Amino acid sequence: MNTVGVIFSAEFLRRIKSKAFLVGTIIGAASILLIAILPSILGGALSSSSKKIVLVGDPALTATAKTLLQRDFEITATLRKLDAAPTPAFLDAHGKASAVAILSRPVGDGLHVVAYARDPSAFRESFGTDLAPLQIALATGVPVERVAAHLNVTVDVHDVSGRFADASSADAAKGVAYLFIMMLYLSILLNAQSIMTSVAEEKTSRIAELLVSTLDPARLLTAKILAAAATGFIQLAVWVTAGAVSGRIAASMFPQHDGATASATMLGAFDVSTGEIAAFLAFFVVGFAQYGVLYAAAASLINRTEDLGSVAGPLVVPVVLGIILAQVALQFPNSPNMVICSLIPLISPFVMFTRVAVSDVPAWQLVLSLAINVGTAVLLAWLSGKIYRVGMLLYGRAPSLKQVLATLRA
Amino acid sequence: MGTLVLSGVARSFGDVVAVRDVSFTVPAGTTFGLLGPNGAGKTTTMRMILGILLPDRGSVTWDGAPVDLAVRRRFGYLPEERGLYGKLKVREQIAYFGRLHGVMPPNDTKRADAWIERLGLGEYANRPCAELSKGNQQKVQVACAALHEPELLVLDEPFSGLDPVNAETLLGVLQTLQQAGTTLILSSHQMWQIEDLCKAFCVIAGGTVRASGTLQELRSGWPTRIVEIEPQDDALRGVLDATAGARRLPEADRPVLAYEIPAAADTAALLRRLVAAGDVTRFERVDPSLRDIYLRAIGAAA
Repeated sequence: MNTVGVIFSAEFLRRIKSKAFLVGTIIGAASILLIAILPSILGGALSSSSKKIVLVGDPALTATAKTLLQRDFEITATLRKLDAAPTPAFLDAHGKASAVAILSRPVGDGLHVVAYARDPSAFRESFGTDLAPLQIALATGVPVERVAAHLNVTVDVHDVSGRFADASSADAAKGVAYLFIMMLYLSILLNAQSIMTSVAEEKTSRIAELLVSTLDPARLLTAKILAAAATGFIQLAVWVTAGAVSGRIAASMFPQHDGATASATMLGAFDVSTGEIAAFLAFFVVGFAQYGVLYAAAASLINRTEDLGSVAGPLVVPVVLGIILAQVALQFPNSPNMVICSLIPLISPFVMFTRVAVSDVPAWQLVLSLAINVGTAVLLAWLSGKIYRVGMLLYGRAPSLKQVLATLRA
Repeated sequence: MGTLVLSGVARSFGDVVAVRDVSFTVPAGTTFGLLGPNGAGKTTTMRMILGILLPDRGSVTWDGAPVDLAVRRRFGYLPEERGLYGKLKVREQIAYFGRLHGVMPPNDTKRADAWIERLGLGEYANRPCAELSKGNQQKVQVACAALHEPELLVLDEPFSGLDPVNAETLLGVLQTLQQAGTTLILSSHQMWQIEDLCKAFCVIAGGTVRASGTLQELRSGWPTRIVEIEPQDDALRGVLDATAGARRLPEADRPVLAYEIPAAADTAALLRRLVAAGDVTRFERVDPSLRDIYLRAIGAAA
């Protein structure tokens, strides 16, 4: 085994056994499970209580309204009139309802609804939509059933590229892409920072001197990056598996529950193509390579572990920027701005992966983005290697920017 | 086993010249003492020998060839400041450094265990290094540096921070390595510890070599000698005062009649004159100590 292999295996085992890795991996997997299941549980629980209502008004009016509202609400009671404004105690007494809707038809006007709700914002839109046929029926004299039938427009949206069967598939793909982006973000950041901590430890404890006396600093750096990438892969594999499993769980727990929609639909449709996985791994590798060498070079310049924060701070900026732009790319994957962003090093791993996940990216753009990222990774590795070689043995006062630039020119 | 040759090596850090011009030769199997005050350039010189730093000028050769990575893996290094992974257990740490120098499993752990026993670290073998005392960490560091049986072992201030018992243990280890033919280069401020161990010395100050050679060679170049005479008799003192070039040394330094005389002075003739002048119970020509030579070489003593 050569020295790169010795360092790689030692670093890999050290990382795999570290509490930080175990805790990070387990918490990450648990978070994915929670993201999938919790909204479903909460959504279901909340929806069942928030959709109980009491109807008040003329029986002819409330009877028709009841048939329309039953699609979204459970009617716990129907009353002719109220003696006083409803109170929470009144709602509790009528089937623990969340709202009271008072229907009236003022002379010359259409339908008028006054609602008293525990959560006022949750009702207005649903009431308006559900009761629209009644309003039209009252205004035109057309039977409400006919109005309702005509208002029910069937809309089928198809993906022009043929990639997604319908709009809900496209929505599910966005959800999965979002999950993958977060995993990419966490894995790159956590593992790049672990490289940083490792380099800082070796420098501040003077182990670096011993290592550099035995092997070339570039090899040392290579071994560290490879070990961190390998642990990153394992972490991602655990997270992706957790995502797939939790999707199935969410889908089976709440197969038709409206409250479960977002997460269960998203993860239930955890139907990720091989191409998507390949793109994910490719952009993880190039993204991680760039950030890994940058973090290592930055750590080699500090003299105390307490200074890590000051050098790590600026390096978080492109990662956060990448994540923000990825959110935009989820909505507008093929806008000219996003196409440009998907070719910019450091942020493109996030943006281009998002575009690949939710749209059909022309092959030339994908190849160009990967080429730019690989080229940048090689350039950064070369520059960082130079800084690392000098920085690891530079003790005393932290080097100025001028000294760092002089090192690069040397 | 090879010979290490440094020829006119120099190294600067920005405007600071750490090593100006250092040349010396360390024959195979020699134990070589590198002496000098703080900031003299000893550590920088050692780092250049080990390839950690590249000289701006000059060359470092081993067996007539430049020191490359393959050669460096046959060297061992004990840095002045301890370089250990705090969370790594003692046995794993020693074995790991062995693997870095090409000692592959299962020999790495076998040798690590042997060193653990030799250095009395048995009870700490499975404990993280951060939990060990400074002295025991130093022992672990020695094992890390020597496990691969290096041809050249460079030790920067190896006795620093060790209590007398641990210092004695280390001395024993170094003597064993010496007997095994390992070339040793060590620096120390505690000259009494390395005076007996080293066969040759190099005194560095201000980045240049001020004196080098075996103790015998260094003494032969010393311009004066010291003679100690008893009893402290006025007649004897009169003879010494009349001797050309003789200078009386303060009694505080030596509670006898002590004089510095030129190295070329005829001590036999001086003894005859003293015996003729009075009852001489003791006459001894004292060679300069390594400390004397060191202080004169660095300019701290006349």
